[in-house]
Amino acid sequence: MPNNQLTIALSKGRMQDDALAMFARAGIVVEESELKSRKLIIHSADGRYAFILVKPGDVPTYVEYGVADAGICGRDVLLESQADVHEPLDLKFGYCRIAVAGKRELMGQDYNLLATVRVATKYKRIASEYFQQKGVPIEVIPLSGSVELAPLIGLSDRIVDLVETGRTLKENGLDVIEVITESTARLVVNRASFHLKRQEVGSLIAQLTDILEKERENAKHA
Amino acid sequence: MSSLTKIPAGVQYFFDEEVRLRRSVEARAMRVFAGWSYDEIILPMFDYHDLFARGMGVEKAEATYRFVDRDGALLALRPELTSLVARTVATRFLKRARPVRLCYSGEVFRYDDPTERAAREFHQLGVEHIGEPDVVADVEVLLVAAEVLSALGLDDFRIALSHVDFFSGVAGFLGLDDAQRSELRALIDRRNSLALAEFLQKVAAHIEPERRNDFCRLTQIAGKEGAIERAREILLNEKSRAAVEHLGRIYGTLTELGLRDNFDIDLGDTGGQEYYTGLVFKVFVPELGVEIGSGGRYDNLIANFGQAEPAVGFSFALDGLVSAIGKRQSAHAPQTAESAQAISVNGDLVAAFAAARAQRAQQKQVKISAK
Repeated sequence: MPNNQLTIALSKGRMQDDALAMFARAGIVVEESELKSRKLIIHSADGRYAFILVKPGDVPTYVEYGVADAGICGRDVLLESQADVHEPLDLKFGYCRIAVAGKRELMGQDYNLLATVRVATKYKRIASEYFQQKGVPIEVIPLSGSVELAPLIGLSDRIVDLVETGRTLKENGLDVIEVITESTARLVVNRASFHLKRQEVGSLIAQLTDILEKERENAKHA
Repeated sequence: MSSLTKIPAGVQYFFDEEVRLRRSVEARAMRVFAGWSYDEIILPMFDYHDLFARGMGVEKAEATYRFVDRDGALLALRPELTSLVARTVATRFLKRARPVRLCYSGEVFRYDDPTERAAREFHQLGVEHIGEPDVVADVEVLLVAAEVLSALGLDDFRIALSHVDFFSGVAGFLGLDDAQRSELRALIDRRNSLALAEFLQKVAAHIEPERRNDFCRLTQIAGKEGAIERAREILLNEKSRAAVEHLGRIYGTLTELGLRDNFDIDLGDTGGQEYYTGLVFKVFVPELGVEIGSGGRYDNLIANFGQAEPAVGFSFALDGLVSAIGKRQSAHAPQTAESAQAISVNGDLVAAFAAARAQRAQQKQVKISAK
């Protein structure tokens, strides 16, 4: 009944690779054969960890409901989901900015000239809260991908999206107008698991903290 | 739109197995409450909106279903039961001997966004212990909660204890303003020790780094008696120290009673709800990712309805208890309906119903068949 395995939800894609690499540095290794398989649940070699591979935006949900004890996802996803979870560690990788972008030729235009700004985004909540605070009325146009397209074909005036290097924006004639906030990968932990699997969660946090401190030291010396 | 099949978001219908399980869980919990001399109180489904605002605060009272009485007064469906109990004790029970022990079982209604939280209507079971300021009452309600869980077969529960003065003592000692206070609270609550360390470097630069780091570690992970000892070494302010001593007395008693495994000290729980004034606790079981119950001391609440009186209490979510038990099928035989032998009428109404009445006189279950 009280099972000692920790279930960890990972965002599929690049963040998954970065996360597993960090776990490997912390001594939590997943066999090559597991990695190459198409399984959605994979296990660490020592059997202490099960990783479930899910859509990035779903990580906080799996953790909040406790089907995963912990998870790794971007701060952007956490802000958008407002999930009620613990967030003990900033893992530092997966850096990007959440920014407002728009067409270059409209850059000079003040918001007041646009009665209601149409904003296309995957981040409905972040976008509404940001513009609400600025007192700019907006109409959110929810999209789930290729958000950069929206201003090009007249669907929206602005977009709110993740910006890593800014290359995609540039190539589509868009520029960052304002940075709303920054995002990196975070370790999140379910509130009940935090108590019921205190030992396991504690040692995971300690192992990852160790790696983070080592990396900070190395960065200092480099 | 078909109004026959459509149901409003967040409402629930129960039938068959689930009804039997819910009723049996409720009955078992209420038996434990009665065993500790808590008298049941039945409370109204709605009352003045103002009463709830006065009780648990305006913010909570905002999340209510509101409607208008014939005289124009604003009413609300009850969003919680503690305010109703507090008002009753402060008015109708004024002359009764203290402590007053009351328990309740009933639905509450919250006007929440149903896409955010599944149920807008849910059932709470709880107790309120009023008129005793001491550790005695604190330990008593914790033991009542523990016994309910054991009685339901949820023996591997975990109750995390904290005290609001631990946090407010530290915030006061550091001279934080309201904004800083809520930032500190959020950082501790998220268990983000790195960000917490950075924050403390800003607001508590005068305190030695070693002590600051110890404070971060202390609030990041829940512990046992060791957490109390470490807190004693780290803390510099009297208020927090007294809070930790109080927790130490409770924890020592629970340990001697053989309940150490079931209780944790979690100084990272800052007691989010404003009305708490002392001990706070949250109840977890392995089957559920969310707390199944919570409680604490609220010595200022009753003063909102009359003279000040100390009080402590807790409530369980019946839905949480039921779903935890449901996931643990093996521990409990399914609650099946009694099976009845059918009595055929077969054209002779009198004979059939006479037989049925004879069986009922012996408390047996009967089922009439028209054929």
